[in-house]
Amino acid sequence: MIEAFYMAISPSYLMYMTIGVMLGLVVGTLPGLTATMGTALLVPFTFALPTGEGIAMLGGLYVCAMFSDAIPACLVNTPGTPAAMATGFDGYPMVKQGRGQEAIVAACFSSALGTIFGAACYLLLAWPMVSIALKFGPAQFFWLGVFALTIIGSLAGNSILKGIAGASIGIIISCIGISHAGEINRFTLNIPELRGGVSLVAALIGVFAVPQVFSMILNLKKQEFVAEYKPEKGVILKTIKKVLSAPVHFLRSAVIGSFIGILPGAGSPIAAIVSYNEAVRWSKDKSQYGKGDIRGVTASEIANNAAAPAAMIPLVTLGVPGSAPAAVIAGALMLRGLNPGPELFASNSALVYSFGWSLLIAGIVVFFVGMLATPLLVRVIKIPLRLLAPMIMFLAIIGAYAIRNNVFDVYLMLIIGVFVFLIRKLGFHPGPIGLGFILGPIIEPSLVQALYISHAVGVQKVFFTGSVNIILITISIVSVSAVAISRFRARRKSVLT
Amino acid sequence: MNFSINTIMKGITASVFGATFLLSGGTAFADYSCKSATFIVPYSPGGGSDQMARRLVPGLEEALGVKVNIVYKTGGGGAVGFSELHRSDPDGCTFSNTVVPNVIISSKGDGVGYEAGDFEYIGMTESSAGTLMVPKDSKYQSIDSFVAAALENPGMLTVAGTGGSGLSRWKQLEEVLGIETTYVPVGGGVGKMIPMLAGSHIDGAATGANHATKHKAIVNSILVAGSNEVPTLPGIPNEPDWNYVITWGLMAPPGTPADVVETLNAAMNSAAQSSSVQEALIKGGYVPHNMSVAETNAFMDAEIAKYAD
Repeated sequence: MIEAFYMAISPSYLMYMTIGVMLGLVVGTLPGLTATMGTALLVPFTFALPTGEGIAMLGGLYVCAMFSDAIPACLVNTPGTPAAMATGFDGYPMVKQGRGQEAIVAACFSSALGTIFGAACYLLLAWPMVSIALKFGPAQFFWLGVFALTIIGSLAGNSILKGIAGASIGIIISCIGISHAGEINRFTLNIPELRGGVSLVAALIGVFAVPQVFSMILNLKKQEFVAEYKPEKGVILKTIKKVLSAPVHFLRSAVIGSFIGILPGAGSPIAAIVSYNEAVRWSKDKSQYGKGDIRGVTASEIANNAAAPAAMIPLVTLGVPGSAPAAVIAGALMLRGLNPGPELFASNSALVYSFGWSLLIAGIVVFFVGMLATPLLVRVIKIPLRLLAPMIMFLAIIGAYAIRNNVFDVYLMLIIGVFVFLIRKLGFHPGPIGLGFILGPIIEPSLVQALYISHAVGVQKVFFTGSVNIILITISIVSVSAVAISRFRARRKSVLT
Repeated sequence: MNFSINTIMKGITASVFGATFLLSGGTAFADYSCKSATFIVPYSPGGGSDQMARRLVPGLEEALGVKVNIVYKTGGGGAVGFSELHRSDPDGCTFSNTVVPNVIISSKGDGVGYEAGDFEYIGMTESSAGTLMVPKDSKYQSIDSFVAAALENPGMLTVAGTGGSGLSRWKQLEEVLGIETTYVPVGGGVGKMIPMLAGSHIDGAATGANHATKHKAIVNSILVAGSNEVPTLPGIPNEPDWNYVITWGLMAPPGTPADVVETLNAAMNSAAQSSSVQEALIKGGYVPHNMSVAETNAFMDAEIAKYAD
């Protein structure tokens, strides 16, 4: 492993990894250009490089995109990739309060820490962790999805019912298209383009960016900028101290992120959602969440970044990528005639470990690149709304188109955007709708597969047996009842006073 | 520590060389008039079809003398990409992967907007035989013990396959073996099936020998379709009556002129016959092909006839 470390700090590794990080900064910042698309676009260019440098560059892009997607999430309330949805819950309110620089610094520093933690898991705990991951079958994924849904309680605002309704709308829209199991057309209205389903990325842009642009336009007379921005001296050190002063919070978010990261098919978006939810649950003072609590930003960013190196663990141990960008990196290895998995681990452990070290060092590089870019990025706030609104709209359209090279996705994005803008007026929070989009594709196919399996071996055995099932069911129940109890108390208190 | 200014220089030289080569056009076919080509991949980045596209693109670019851009149009088990190709201009500048029988089975969905017979098939490059896999620690390490268990408890064994097309292929083996099992459809690629199998959440999975080869270290194969042994899966028994073969190739939109299809066929074959591609295919558990347009059309007619009912 020491030899691998020396490889990872060789000038060529460092150089290409840093180039990857810089590209990741751009990729993550542009909504619609996800880490998956970014790595896929970069693959052909890495073929001119030796394998180690090539995948270090891809890895650098991946982890940095998991930070930079927080930038648009905070500044304009539009997540750069689905993984940053939860970052925006508190990041955007922070920006509105004039704490833009603090939000970005917090996102950057916690992303760096998360990446380092995830990479350390990769280097030290790959095998024990992957044996837990294998315990996750369809039923366990279903319960994980259900558990992640309980976050509605933390972000629904005043009405739990509206939260549940919003998430249901999201899940139903995610079911549009040819079903995973059985291949039946669902809600396609005989429109051929709908057969492929609604693209998650386009839908999220619709949910967050479009309503944002509309309200900017409607408020043009009252408001000239997104928020006030005054550069604050010493904000970097102050924010770093704030993040470091909460070690339990960090550890919880990082463990959740790494653990969900290794589950093939779950990925960074779910890691961030679950981590956010747990941060709210374990805080003594929950009142500021959703209104600009820095812990909301750090919980989400630590977790989605820790999940990125962790998603490489099942790839190098089993040959099964833990996330979509990991699948692209797997493809890049295979095109070089290398088969990621136990054999490669045994025959070329130097490559496997040097990749882990590169990811770890990428965490540090992300911090410095992010810090250099922050003063520039935060200036977005200083763009007058009459210019910023069309710019966001332009990027939203490009992003929705680029994800599948499909104009139809642009129309869908606009329709969803107008719809969400209207129901926001009725007191719906966009969060649960986005949550439904992200969790639907996990919950629905796993439920169907688990039901098929239980047809053979019984519902009891599939859904309610085994430690993972029991744990997930228990924490889901605890999570729901905790929300119910606190709501009940709050209501009684308000009646009494 | 290995010092690597050299590596960096090599990298830069290679990129510069690559770029000039593309700009200068190489040894191109004179009758290919497109400024650049679009290669539609109807499945996700990193998947099997993406791998195939990326294996072929360098050779295609060399032969056609233009840049070949990969575009992902994923969804609907390939239907989204196939129907996009169906709508594209038939000028030979746009083509896509084709996977047989997926392209035939998917065309039978209502409102897909294409028939498998509509497309102009450029050629087939490789195929892979169906394989039944079981977990490493499964009680059933041979097809005989698997069949015996299925006969003893009909419907109690679970076998995963890819969606609807996997179902018809599995049902056919069930008929041949005279057994009854519970089929578990897995969408979104074979990738999701492997951890289910490795974690023993299902008793078996049926998919191509290429996947069985790739994941040899974590799952065991117990049966291969057809009469030929797969070199990467030595000693695994065959089932001659199980006609589960997946074939990959390229196709163009309906109405693409015959001479353009011939040009693309020549480019595809020159790309696929390179020693590095051939080596990758054999190592990966595929059977490489080298088909002319006429052979490809005969092959497709036979395949389409198989599924006509």
